[in-house]
Amino acid sequence: MEVNNQGILNGLPDHQLTRRDVVRGAGYGGMGIALALLLAACATGTPNSSTSGSREPIKIGILADLTGPFTTYGTSLARSAQLAIKEINAKGGIGGRQITVIVEDTQTDVSATVDKARKLIQSDKVDLVMGPIGSDANDATYKTVVEDGAKLLFYTETFEGGKCNELYFSFGAVPAQQIRPLIPVLQQKYGPKVMLFGADYVWPRRSFEIAKPIIAENGGTVVAELYLPLIAEDFSELVKTVRDTQPDYIFSLYPAVWGTALKALDDAGLLDTVGIGTIFLGDPDFAGVADLAEGSYTALPFFTVADAPGVKPFLDAYSADFGADQIPSGGEGVGAYDAVYLYKMAVEKAGSTDPKAVAAALPGLSFDGPTGSVTITPSHYLQQTINLVQAQDGKYALVDSFPNMDPEEACSL
Amino acid sequence: MRRGRWRVPLLGLAGSGAAPGSRRRVEGILLLALIAFPLVIQDTFLIDRLGRYFLFAAFAVSVDLIWGYGGLFTFGHAAFFGGGGYIVGMLTTHDAAFLPVPLWAALIGAVLAMALFALALSYFVFSGRGALRGVEFAVVTLAVAVAAERLTNAGGSVTGGQNGILMSSSLGVPGVISLQQGYGFYALAGLLLLATYVGVQRFLNSRSGLILRGIRDNEDRIDLLGYDVPAIKRRAFVLSAAIAALAGAVFYVHEGIVSPSAVGVSASTLVLLWVVLGGRGTLIGPIVGAILLPHLTATLSGSLLDTWLVAVGVILVAVILVLPSGIFGFLNRERGT
Repeated sequence: MEVNNQGILNGLPDHQLTRRDVVRGAGYGGMGIALALLLAACATGTPNSSTSGSREPIKIGILADLTGPFTTYGTSLARSAQLAIKEINAKGGIGGRQITVIVEDTQTDVSATVDKARKLIQSDKVDLVMGPIGSDANDATYKTVVEDGAKLLFYTETFEGGKCNELYFSFGAVPAQQIRPLIPVLQQKYGPKVMLFGADYVWPRRSFEIAKPIIAENGGTVVAELYLPLIAEDFSELVKTVRDTQPDYIFSLYPAVWGTALKALDDAGLLDTVGIGTIFLGDPDFAGVADLAEGSYTALPFFTVADAPGVKPFLDAYSADFGADQIPSGGEGVGAYDAVYLYKMAVEKAGSTDPKAVAAALPGLSFDGPTGSVTITPSHYLQQTINLVQAQDGKYALVDSFPNMDPEEACSL
Repeated sequence: MRRGRWRVPLLGLAGSGAAPGSRRRVEGILLLALIAFPLVIQDTFLIDRLGRYFLFAAFAVSVDLIWGYGGLFTFGHAAFFGGGGYIVGMLTTHDAAFLPVPLWAALIGAVLAMALFALALSYFVFSGRGALRGVEFAVVTLAVAVAAERLTNAGGSVTGGQNGILMSSSLGVPGVISLQQGYGFYALAGLLLLATYVGVQRFLNSRSGLILRGIRDNEDRIDLLGYDVPAIKRRAFVLSAAIAALAGAVFYVHEGIVSPSAVGVSASTLVLLWVVLGGRGTLIGPIVGAILLPHLTATLSGSLLDTWLVAVGVILVAVILVLPSGIFGFLNRERGT
């Protein structure tokens, strides 16, 4: 039965090969090959030069989340880097060579990030990769660009630190830089009892490990440590913990839905009883939660209210290129801008774009960036100015500025 | 025998969809294109990228098997695709007890684990009085994806939390041949897709496959005629999960990292788009959809930085308006919808 029915089930009559079939088959074969050729033609249309004469442009590839949840940060990263590249090109480029920039949208997605990183390395053959944003994407890019691709990677995002590789450089703020200035201010203002509240992933967890000794040094006590999912729906645990432990202030690393968390505290009538400090709420994010974040403190490399001679020209150039109401975010913009200039200095010092030669030239280089002088440490992190602001009357007001903050990242290379 | 008597008159349709001739032609063209690409394209990166899309395509075929042919709308199939990746990651990177195991063993482990998971799930959702249909089944699959994303996020050092697992192994036979990148990977992914296609096609042409399509068209009728509906659904679901797991496992080893979004809802939704775009219930359509849409997205998101989402959206809407049953909908005359 089974066997007999196969023919009917398949719907395929027994078939003898005829001349017509052969001719027809050849025809379709031709179509298939034509299709392949067409695709190949499209493929070769993309720039794909592998020759590297010294007058060739230097290629910088940027992996930025221009769509998805990290759009604000990705846009800020891409624009700030492009701004620096434009300025450098206008002044004759790097050692006489112009810079070509290739921006790829990584869509706040790890898979897309890996794909675009490979494209930049294998197809575009860039000299430098900048980006991405997310911590997971950073891990993926690190593997793709540094370990597998043997290319230089500049990561410009605020992150947990701890990475250490000859070809890897961080230009964002790392925990110690932000926590060291912030904690004493919070403690003086509110008192010694601190609650650590973070999203449940590596950045908050490692930051809190770094924060604990700093809090102890200042004579503070951690009364609670709470982690909720990155995008939590229920904040009753937060409210309960604050009620039960009555901290003087909350040190928060809860970036994704911070407004919702603040709202929950506000609804519970707790927002007025507790101080708040963060290390993530830059200008663009603050605008969305300004009323709830009133009074809270934030430490980041960049704010529009930062007090340095380079801030205004940087903001003016930014809004001239990208729109009057456009401002860079607190963690990504200025780091990417500085990074491009430092890359230029390193290439000129090394006399080559060879990743290892440039990497060897980078440590020790200093640049006068928009927020002040920045220096690359021997561990490949950035010693930089951290600004501390407080939300007052719906706007950020500068509290203090901390130049030359040490990243305190140990990495022997 | 007793049941077999009913088969043909009951379903009144033949084999792999109507117009087997046009299917053969499309199959031939695609197969030749698959073989010809690496001969004419010199860009290793593009070849590598195509290889990735082949694995997407195998994933899309696994969804088409249960949704297109079984009428089981799934909102959480990435749980199996990404799950395969996670299991390979956990088995090959952790160092404890019998771990790490070699890659080939991890691949087998991933397929078995996901198939077993699907089997266990099948007993809950397809059997007994509480058997789920339609929207109810979709909601359960959605819950599976949401739970998987939460679980991988909260898995600490086992799943690597939000950062996921960085793969330490690479495809191929160490010291003999590397299939991790470029042409080798293309060949591996291409063969996997081919095997998936042929395997699923065979299943659909088997007795179980025919009943599966009957279930899609009129489940009550098939049930009343005495066929074991839960068993057939179970079989299709487990096969589909195993295919998704294998494709996902290979995909994420090539990717080098697997993180929670791999098993989540958005990845599960994306595959539905590929299937709809190509043509549900055609097998070939989802394959083409799974290659075309990611290729379009990847290309446009580099060239139209500000507007690519709109462009992709417009193209999708246009295709669905002009070809409501997908690009290859013409291959599927048998479906009444």
